Amino acid sequence: MAEMQVAESGGKKGGGKKRSKKMSTRVDLTAMVDLGFLLITFFMLTTTLAKPQIMALVMPEKDIKKEDVESVKESKVLTLMLGANDKIYWYEGITEPTLDSTDYSAEGMRKVILDKMDKVKTQFGMEDYQDFKTKEPRKGSFVNVIIKPTKDARYKNLVDALDEMAISKVRYYVILDISTLEMDFIKNPARGLKFNAEEQLEAATQ
Amino acid sequence: MPKHKPKRGAPAIDMTAMCDVAFLLLTFFMLTAKAKPQETLVIDTPSSVSQTKLPDAGTLTILVGKDGRIFLDMTGQHTRKSLIDDVSSRFQIAMTEEEKIEFANSGSFGVARSQLRQWLNLDKADRDKISTGIPVDTADVNKSELADWIHNARLAQFRMKQEGKVKEEYVMVLKADKDTPYPAIQKVVNTLVDINVNKFNLITNMEEDPNKLGTEKKSE
Repeated sequence: MAEMQVAESGGKKGGGKKRSKKMSTRVDLTAMVDLGFLLITFFMLTTTLAKPQIMALVMPEKDIKKEDVESVKESKVLTLMLGANDKIYWYEGITEPTLDSTDYSAEGMRKVILDKMDKVKTQFGMEDYQDFKTKEPRKGSFVNVIIKPTKDARYKNLVDALDEMAISKVRYYVILDISTLEMDFIKNPARGLKFNAEEQLEAATQ
Repeated sequence: MPKHKPKRGAPAIDMTAMCDVAFLLLTFFMLTAKAKPQETLVIDTPSSVSQTKLPDAGTLTILVGKDGRIFLDMTGQHTRKSLIDDVSSRFQIAMTEEEKIEFANSGSFGVARSQLRQWLNLDKADRDKISTGIPVDTADVNKSELADWIHNARLAQFRMKQEGKVKEEYVMVLKADKDTPYPAIQKVVNTLVDINVNKFNLITNMEEDPNKLGTEKKSE
C-alpha cells in the first residue's frame, strides 16, 4: 500500500538489462504531514492573535477662552487625585473640602463615584440630555469628575481611573494638572484647601 | 477454496488528505501571520474594559517605556520614506538613499535627530544602546523633536493619502507601560495638545467589564 519503493542501490551493478518494474506511485506522506504540523504549530504560536484594545481619550483644547467655559455646580464636582502607591485622594466641591482616600478596587473608587452620583441625583434630580449615538433625549444624573494625577502616579493609575469612568458611565470627566495647593492639601489635610472658583478657572485656562 | 489470509504488517493509512489539510492550514497561518515587529522597548500595557480594537493600518504610535524613554513608530513605508525625505532636507541631515530606505523599513525608533544616522547604521541588536528616547522640549513646542516628528508624520501620511498610496489618516496611539511614571506621560500628552492633537487612543489589554460579569457587583 503506502510504502515507498526504494530503488536498490545494487541495481546498476547488476548490469543486465533489467526491465524497470512498474512501480507504485504511492509515497509515504507521514513525514510530510509531520513537517506540516510542525510548521503549523510554529506559525500558530508565533502569530499574535489577540489584537490590543484601544481606549479613546479626548483632552481639552489648550487655549480655552474664559467666555467659553461653562460653570458647573460645585456640589456636582468630584476631584480624584491619583497619588503614590496606588492611592487615590479625593474631595468634593471646592469650598472647604475634606480630604479622603481610597484605592482602585471596586469597593474603593467605584463606590466613591457611585455614591457621588446618588448624591447628585437626590439633590438635583434627573436631567435631560441627548444621547451621543442615538441622538435621543434621555435622562441622567451627572457628576463632573476631575482627575488629577500627581507626579508619583503611575500610568496604570491613570488608565484605571479612566476605565472607571467608562464602567461607572461618568459623562463628564477631565484630566488636569495638579496644583501646588492640592499637593499641600494631600500632605496636610488638616490645613484644608482654600481656593476659589476664580483661581480654579485661572489654572485651567491659563 | 482456501481462505484468503490477511497480510500481516503495519496497516498503512492514506495520508494524502491529512497532508492536504496540514498544508492548507500551514498556508493560512503563513499568510495571516504578521512578522512580529522587533521592539526595542519592552512595554507591559495596563488593562481596561474597552472593546475597541486597534486598527491594522494607519497608526502613529508613541511608546513610553518604564524608564520614560519615548519611542515613535508609524505604519506605512511610503509615509516613512516621505517623512524622512522631509526631515533630512529640513534639518540638513546628509542621508544616503540606503539610509532612508532603512528608516522606512525599520520599526520603532527612539533617538535624537542628530543620532539618527548613526542609529540607522548600527546592527539591530546594538540599536538599543544609543536609543535614549526622542527628546521633548516642554517649554518650547517648536524645539520639541517629538512634536516635530508627530506633526510631520501626520502631514506625510496626509500627502500619501492624497497620492492614493494609503487609505487613511493616522490614528494617534499612546502605548505606555503600567509602571511608567505619570510625568513622562504628561510630557507626551502636553506635546500632543500643543500641536492640537486632542484626541488620541491609549493601548490597553483586555479586561472583563464588571458591568457585564454579573449583576451583584454593580450597585443599584
